[in-house]
Formats: sequence, C-alpha cells, structure tokens
Amino acid sequence: MTTPSNEQVAAQEQLHDQFNDVWGNPRGWKSLTIVNHTTIGIRFMLTGLGFFLFGGLLAMLVRTQLAIPGYDFLEPDVYNQVFTMHGTVMMFLFAVPMMEGLAVYLIPKMLGARDLVFPRLSALGYWCYLFGGLILCASLLLGIAPKAGWFMYTPLSSAVHTPGPNSDFWLIGITFVEISAVSAGVELVVSILRTRAEGMSLNKMPIYAWYILVMAMMIVVGFPPLILGSILLELERAVGLPFFEVARGGDPILWQHLFWLFGHPEVYIIFLPAAGIVSTLLPVFCQRPLVGYRWVVLAILTTGFISFGLWVHHMFTVGIPQLAQAFFSAASMLVAIPTGIQVFAWIATLWVGRPLYHVPMLWLVGFLVIFVCGGLTGVMLALVPFDWQVHDTHFVVAHMHYVLVGGMFFPLLAGIYYWLPHFSGRMPSVRLGKWGFWLVFIGFNLTFLIMHWTGLMGMPRRIYTYQSGLGWDLPNLISSIGSFIMAIGIATVLLDIVLHFRFGQKATNNPWNADTMEWSTHLPPSPYNFVSLAPVRTRHPLWELPDLEERIDRGEFALTVIDHGRRETLGIEPLTGKVREIIHLPGNSWWPFIASLFIAFTCLGLLSKFYWVALVASIVAVLVLLRWSWENGAHPLAAPDARVQPGEPPLHSRTCDGPGLWGMGVTLLANGALYLALLFGWFYLWTVSPNWLVPDDAVIDQRLLLASAVLLSIAVLWQRPVLRRLRQGQGEPAALITCFVGAALLGALHTGLLLWALLAGELAPRATAHDAVIVVMLVYSLAHGALATILSALQALRVHHGYVCKRTPYEPLVVEQFWQYSLAVMWITYCSVVLFPPTFGGV
Amino acid sequence: MLWWAMCAFATLVLVVVTALWVHAMRRERPQMDAARARQLTLRWLVGGGLLLPTLSVLLLLLFGIPIGHRMLPLPLAGEQPMRIEVVGHQWWWEVRYPDSGVVTANQLHLPVGRPVDLDVSSADVIHSFWVPRLGGKIDMIPGRDNRIRLQADQAGTFRGQCSEFCGTQHTHMILDVQAHEEEDFARWLQARSEQQVSALPGPAGDVFAARCGQCHRVAGVSEGNRAPDLSDVGARSMLGAGVLSNEPGALLRWLQEHQRLKPGNAMPLHDDLDPDHLSTIADWLETLRP
Repeated sequence: MTTPSNEQVAAQEQLHDQFNDVWGNPRGWKSLTIVNHTTIGIRFMLTGLGFFLFGGLLAMLVRTQLAIPGYDFLEPDVYNQVFTMHGTVMMFLFAVPMMEGLAVYLIPKMLGARDLVFPRLSALGYWCYLFGGLILCASLLLGIAPKAGWFMYTPLSSAVHTPGPNSDFWLIGITFVEISAVSAGVELVVSILRTRAEGMSLNKMPIYAWYILVMAMMIVVGFPPLILGSILLELERAVGLPFFEVARGGDPILWQHLFWLFGHPEVYIIFLPAAGIVSTLLPVFCQRPLVGYRWVVLAILTTGFISFGLWVHHMFTVGIPQLAQAFFSAASMLVAIPTGIQVFAWIATLWVGRPLYHVPMLWLVGFLVIFVCGGLTGVMLALVPFDWQVHDTHFVVAHMHYVLVGGMFFPLLAGIYYWLPHFSGRMPSVRLGKWGFWLVFIGFNLTFLIMHWTGLMGMPRRIYTYQSGLGWDLPNLISSIGSFIMAIGIATVLLDIVLHFRFGQKATNNPWNADTMEWSTHLPPSPYNFVSLAPVRTRHPLWELPDLEERIDRGEFALTVIDHGRRETLGIEPLTGKVREIIHLPGNSWWPFIASLFIAFTCLGLLSKFYWVALVASIVAVLVLLRWSWENGAHPLAAPDARVQPGEPPLHSRTCDGPGLWGMGVTLLANGALYLALLFGWFYLWTVSPNWLVPDDAVIDQRLLLASAVLLSIAVLWQRPVLRRLRQGQGEPAALITCFVGAALLGALHTGLLLWALLAGELAPRATAHDAVIVVMLVYSLAHGALATILSALQALRVHHGYVCKRTPYEPLVVEQFWQYSLAVMWITYCSVVLFPPTFGGV
Repeated sequence: MLWWAMCAFATLVLVVVTALWVHAMRRERPQMDAARARQLTLRWLVGGGLLLPTLSVLLLLLFGIPIGHRMLPLPLAGEQPMRIEVVGHQWWWEVRYPDSGVVTANQLHLPVGRPVDLDVSSADVIHSFWVPRLGGKIDMIPGRDNRIRLQADQAGTFRGQCSEFCGTQHTHMILDVQAHEEEDFARWLQARSEQQVSALPGPAGDVFAARCGQCHRVAGVSEGNRAPDLSDVGARSMLGAGVLSNEPGALLRWLQEHQRLKPGNAMPLHDDLDPDHLSTIADWLETLRP
C-alpha cells in the first residue's frame, strides 16, 4: 500500500466532487425529490420505527385493559379498534416496510452497485407508505378506526355489520400501502437479478441477497390476492356488489381464502429477511463463511414455495373436508424442514468457527431461543385436533408473538446494532445495549411464555375483559407486568441508539471485519456508494481483498467518467454476472411525490365518499404517472446522449433488453397473481358458494365479447412484424408510427366493444355475485385495453419526437409485454365467462 | 394427552438446540482442517436439518391424523346421535331440539353418555362454537351448516364461549352447558316441550305483548323470533349470555341497565317504560321455568 502523492489525492477529490454533483441529495423542500436508495431506505426505517412505537403503545393499552378481570380502562368499542390497529400497524406498517427499508439500503451496496434499478419507484413506494400509514392511523385518532380485527373477516366487516367508515380505512389505507410493498418487491427482484457487480454470478451473491430475492418474489405474488380481496370488499361495502354475502350468492369464506392466501406467505415475507440478517451476521462473528451456502439457498427457495401452500391452516375450524385438512396439516409441518436446515447451518457455522461476543450476538442467541420455541408451537398448531382446541385462544397469540418477535424483531435489532456504524459512522454503547437486550428478553418471555398456558385454559382471543375465577387472572397480570418490562427494554435500546449519534465512538472502516461489500463504502456512505465499480468474483470480497475500498476510492475500476451528467450503474446477465449494458438511472424528481399525493387525494375522496374528488384525483394521478414515464430513454432529461467510453457496453436504452423489460415482466407477475385470485374467486363461488344464483339467460352478449377479443388479438399480431424488425436493429420512423397508431386504433376499438358489451348487457351486479364477478373481470380487461391503447399512442408520439427509433428500440418491446398480457387475460376471461358456465349448469 | 407429549418433545428439542448453539459458541476449538470441517457440517445439516424435522413431523402426523379422524361426526352404526341445532347471533345462542320442538337460548342441556351431533350455523356474522372441556371448536358460518359431535361422560356444568371475533360483545357470548343423567335429561326435555306459560295479566302484560313479545318468544304467550327465547329464563344460571348471575333481582337489573352491562347489545332501552311495569315484568319472568 503506497501513500498517494498530492496530485493523486487532488485528482481523487475532484473525482468524488464530480460524483457528488451528479448524485448529491438536495436539502430543504427539494429533499422531497430525493430518489437515492440510501436516503429512501433510511426514511423507510425511520418511518417504520415511528409506526412500531405507535403499534407498541396500542399493545400497552391492550395489556393494561387485560391486566385485571372486569377492568373498564377501555370501552369495548375502543378496545376493538385498539387491538385491530395494533395488529394492522405492526404487520403492514412496521414488519414488512422495515425489512424492505433495510433491504433497499443494503442491497445495492452488497451487490457492488450504485443504486437500485428504479429509483423513482423507490421514492413512490416510500411516499405511498407514509401517506397510507398516516391516513390509517389518523382513523384511530378520530375514533373511527377499523375494529373488525386485522384480518377483517366478513360478514362482520361488511357494510351491514360494520356501517361507518371504519372498515373502509383499512381496505383503502392498506391497499395504498401495498402499492409501496409491491413496488419495492418489483424493484428488489430486478435489481438483484440485473445490477450486481461484474462477475458476481448467482452462486457468488451474498446470502442476504438470496433471502431478499425470495422475499421480494413472495411479495410480488403474495400481496395481490389481498389487494384483490380488499377491492372486492370495498366494492361490496360502497357499491353493493355482493362477493361475500350469502343471500345474493357470495360466500364469506371466499374472503378468508383470499386473505390467508396472502396472510400465510406474509409471515414468511417477514421472517426470511430476518433470517437473512442472521445468516449475514453469524459468519462475521464466527470469522468464517456460512456453512452450507447451497443448502441454505435451497432451504430459502423451498420455504418460499411451500409457504404458498399452507394457508388453510388458518381455517381448520371452518368445516373444510378432512382430506384437505390433512394435506394442509402435513404441508404446514413440512416447512419445518427448510427452517431446520437453516438453524443447523447456523449451529454448524458456530461449531467450526471462532465466535466473538458483541451485542449483536446477544440478540442472535435470543432470536434462536425464542424463534425455535415459536416454531415448535407452530408445528403443534399444525396438528388439526390440537388446533381445534387452541385455535382462537391466547395460545395462538403466544405462538405468533414468539415467531414474529423472536423471528423478526430480535434479528432486526441484531442487524441494527451491526449496521449502526454504517448508518452513522459511530459505534453504539455496550453496556446500555446489554441492558436493553436483557430487559426485552426477560420482559418478552414473561409476557408471552405464560400466555401459552392462558390459552390452554381456554381464554379466547379478542375479548376485552374476562370473569374472575376462571384461572385467567394471575397469568394475565403476569403478562401485563412482563409487557411493561419489555417496553422499558425497548426504550433503553432506543436511548442507546439516539445517544450514540452524539456520544458514540467513531467507527473504523470495517469495525466488525465483515466480508460483504457494503462495508467498503464510506461510513456513512456517499450517495453514489462506489466511485468506481469493482468486479467481484467471490462470496467474501472484503476477506479476500482487504484493500478493496482504497482501490475503489482511487477510481481503479469501471464507470469513473461522469462528465455526461448521468447516474449510472452496470447491468449484468442474471446468471453469470457478465456485463451487458450500462444502466442509466434517473436523478432527483418531483414525480413520485406528486403522484403519491394525488393517490392520497383519491383515497381521501373515497373515504369521505366525495366520489368526484376521487375520480378527478385518480385521473390526475394517472396523468402524472404517464408524464413521469415520458422522461425516459432518449428524452433530454434522461439520456439523450448515448456516448460511452471506449470498451464500455452500450446504454441500456439503446439495447433490446434492460431493467424496464424485467420490471414490466415482474409487475405483470403481480398483476397476474391478482387476476388469478379473481379467477380463483370465480371458480370457487361456482363450486362452493352456499346460495349460488345463476341467471336464466345470458347476461352478456357473447358475440360482442368474442369480437372484442379477436380485435385485441389482431392488435397484437399487427405489431409483431415491426417489433421483430426492431429487434434486429431496423425500422424507419414512418413504419414505427404506423405500427403504433394502428395498434392504438385497434386497441381503442377493442376497448370500445368491451365497454359496449358491459353496458348493453343484462348484468345486475348488485343482485348476484355471479354478475358482480363478471363485471369485475370485464372492467379489469377494459382498464388493460385502455392502458395498452394509451401506451401505444404515446409510443407513436415518442417516435415523432425522436425518442424511440431503431437505435433506441427499447420501449416498444416493454409495451409489447403489456399487450401480450392483456391478450392472455382477455381470452382466459372469455373462456371462463362464456365457455365454462354451460358445462356447469349455467348459461 | 397429546398436548403433554408434544409439549415434552418440543421442550426437549428447544433445550437441545439451545444447548447446541451455546455449546458451539463456548467450547474449546480443536484444530480442524477443511475436510474435517466439511464432514462435520454435513453431519449437522443432514442430521439436524433434514432428519430431525422429517422424523418428528412424520411421528406427529402418524398419531395426530387418526385422533382427528376419530373426532369427526361420521355416520355411526347402531343408535344415531341425538341432534341439536345451535344458531349464533350477535351476541346470544339460539338452541333448538328438532325432535321435540324445544327452543331455548344461551343454555345447552345434554344427556350423559350419548354422542350428540350439534348442527351449527349463524344468523349474522361468523361465530364459533366451543365448549373447552367437551371438545374442539367449529365455526358457525351464515349460509352453512357445520356439524360437531360431542359426548359428555359425566354430569356437570360446563362453560362454552364464542371463539370467533363477532363484534363489540364477542366477550359476552357465554353458553351455559349442563349435562344430565339420562332420566334427568328426559324429564327436562319433557317438561320443556309441554311447558305452557300463562300470560301476564294487567297493563304490564299489555306492555310485554306490545314491546318485549315482538322480539322474544315465550311459549304460549308471544311469538317474537329476533331475540332469545325466554320461556325458561327464570331457571337459567346466567343472564345476557354470561353477563349477570341470575340471582333474585338480576332480571330487573338487566332490564334497567343492560346497555351499561353489555354496551351495544341489540335490545333497545326501556327508559320510557313505567318502572312499575318493568318490575312486574321482571318478577313474572323470574317465575318462568319448566
């Protein structure tokens, strides 16, 4: 290591200055435009902390009310709002966003990239999370919070049994927040697959990235069923379309299926990133690589898959046939196997390593004890006859807090202590940290261990008080005392974190001697992470190349020229890590904030039942999003100039493959999950609904539907020749414009016919669930047809402006995916609505 | 029985795993080369990660599935179980004996030593039927009939409770379950099915007919069907589905303070009624027993 000369130092400083000019974060009002992942990640985590404290306060209210039998600290109606909001806030506004925030912060750094692949989407996700969460929590302050439980079972949550805006806050507010979750999910999947460092093949990726990849895919596929369910329930409440109401052909159990189809993967979405933290920290504190990397990867993938096949174990008391119950029981237990593999991989790592004792390790040991205990009670619950006894009692409350607090909160704190020096550049205290840990650990177990017993003695969930003399008095009092101890512990931890910003010792470059790339940035990191992008061909870059940070800082590696003013990172092939293109990224922008604001207005309009406000705001939101999409590719504000350094790959917008194509693909996966959930609802109601009402005659003109589908097919086929030539690098503007304008016209015709079919038919969506589902399916296709039409029209316009041509062939190929998806959906809808029913006794 | 076995096994696993983790952290490190490390770790992964969970799960299922199967209300050879219907309401229990036509509320009388099939459903939202000391629980879902088979092996009183969150007063939806020896049960059923109540005379009786009777049924007096049947309310041990103990004077207290005792319940306030009438009605209700 030679000492750099004065000129070298000056040159390096100039390089960093140039980067700061392009990547810098503005202050004041303009900080609302920041899209950089480091800031967004921290915002997610700080906001998550705020909601955590709010949810924790609600928990203290619950425990206070339950401390003494017959206590009247909270009125029943208020209590029901409080416990509903506790669950909702913790699950939707803390657990998932906090983990996503940490991933947003860490992933690009660990992968050796400069930012996530859709920075403006990250920003949109954050604002939607903030606004949605604030709207939801405001409801409690106004006394109109949701009060039908965080799981909102129908018919209790329907308009008949819970009139008033309470349930609407949940349905609309949570859907708003879910935009955030799904967009972060899409972003993480594409970033992990396409922006890793050069040479970082999939099997050389840090294990944390595998965990996040699977988590993000699970979010993409697992959240849409709930989004659909929420939309359907809100339509039932606000407009009277009966999906879950027996009298008009619906089924309340359909809600349960849709909810738990999301609900079970949700808990693994929460657990996996936490396990990722454990798998990242443990090797560092054992000073050796994780044992069984491939085993663990397999375990993660298996967990992800299996978790989608378990949801019925939340419904064992509903009266489902025994064979189905046995299947879900066995599947629920099987998930213990991949979890067991991870636990023993950790034990093995400890066994063959040389463990160090730091505060994060304390939290990891606490995690092991509490999570394994929770997992074991989970296996018990999977056994149906046992579940029939303890379902809906405090035994389940104890189990779920063991797995959630043990499995997510403890690793989270281990991770926070570990990465605190990264956020702030300073080390936390040891003594305060230990006090905090022990208070939380003891308080938690005091609260929840005895709760298993309380549940076994028969105390149900969600009751606001209980009679004395049932044997529940003492256990409840103990639990309540324990909860106060735990609260004090959490306050201690918070104090430690707050104080360390002021009094913490300055951290060295790599205070824990870790192996992953995030520790080769500055502490705290520069907005661009790395001034030059190094190739990484090992799982443990900092252990094998200890001077990596210095070399990166000197500008030794790729993409050090930034006089074009573009933010850039490398795009790679997903499996091998070979460099394919330079991905240019957008800088600070107002669009995400503005779009989010108008979505918030839409929600507020819907909640207050000022539907005109909602309509106008939603149209404006769509326009804002379209305007945002205009600033892409060769647009002057994006990358008008495609000049690159000699030897460098081309800009992605000048190729036929890039993040946008992948982003569209993954988003369509989410969209497809939503549509599949709708299809599931359709076939489910046909087969199982207790009072299924089928019309005597056809309610929709089948020829119009067929014609509409055929037109859509023609629109897709019309574009194929031109797009094929575009892929080969050919295509004059006139041909392109003709192609897109033609597609738009055909799309408009298709949409028009669909609209005609919808309006001219005999559909009575308020009268029967049958018609209501058909209406939703047709409106879904209508929306897609309209959007496809608009997108192609915009493409034609962009050709006219010169942003799309044979040298920038990128965007039309992205739009093509959307057309293809719409086509598939249209035909499936046609078959399901027109061809299927006659085979089943309908029309 | 099953629970204690599982508890013991689970505790064992937890202790062993924790001990392994802690031991792994603290022990003296023998020198180990890469090959030996690989061999050891493979043993951990396969033995602990694959075999241990797989075997445990198989064992559990082997025992658990038959146990669950035995609890199901499958067709029996020989004597058929007695059938009782229970309908959940917010926040009370409607109990019907279809063979004899007896209808009551918030209490369930059972014969000892015989299987009983309860067909449960709901009139409004999802409730759940559960008598912890007699069996598992089953959800009561509007539009569906679910069946659970119970059998009381000894006479006695058991507590049942709603086990699915059903709104503001889910907490106060308690079912009083009484199991009687066969002859006592037959006697009770007989007395109830033959019960005829004479109407309350006088202005109080008119008030009852015009107000209470519109929702509440009393055998031979009124035909309301939106609220608990009151034909044997005097003999019940609790009022308001578990809110008040039915001591002398409790009925009057319930009529006067029910919104304070069970806020949100569906019975309207009676503040506009003459307190004397209310008192007379309460006294009369206390006499209603089979």
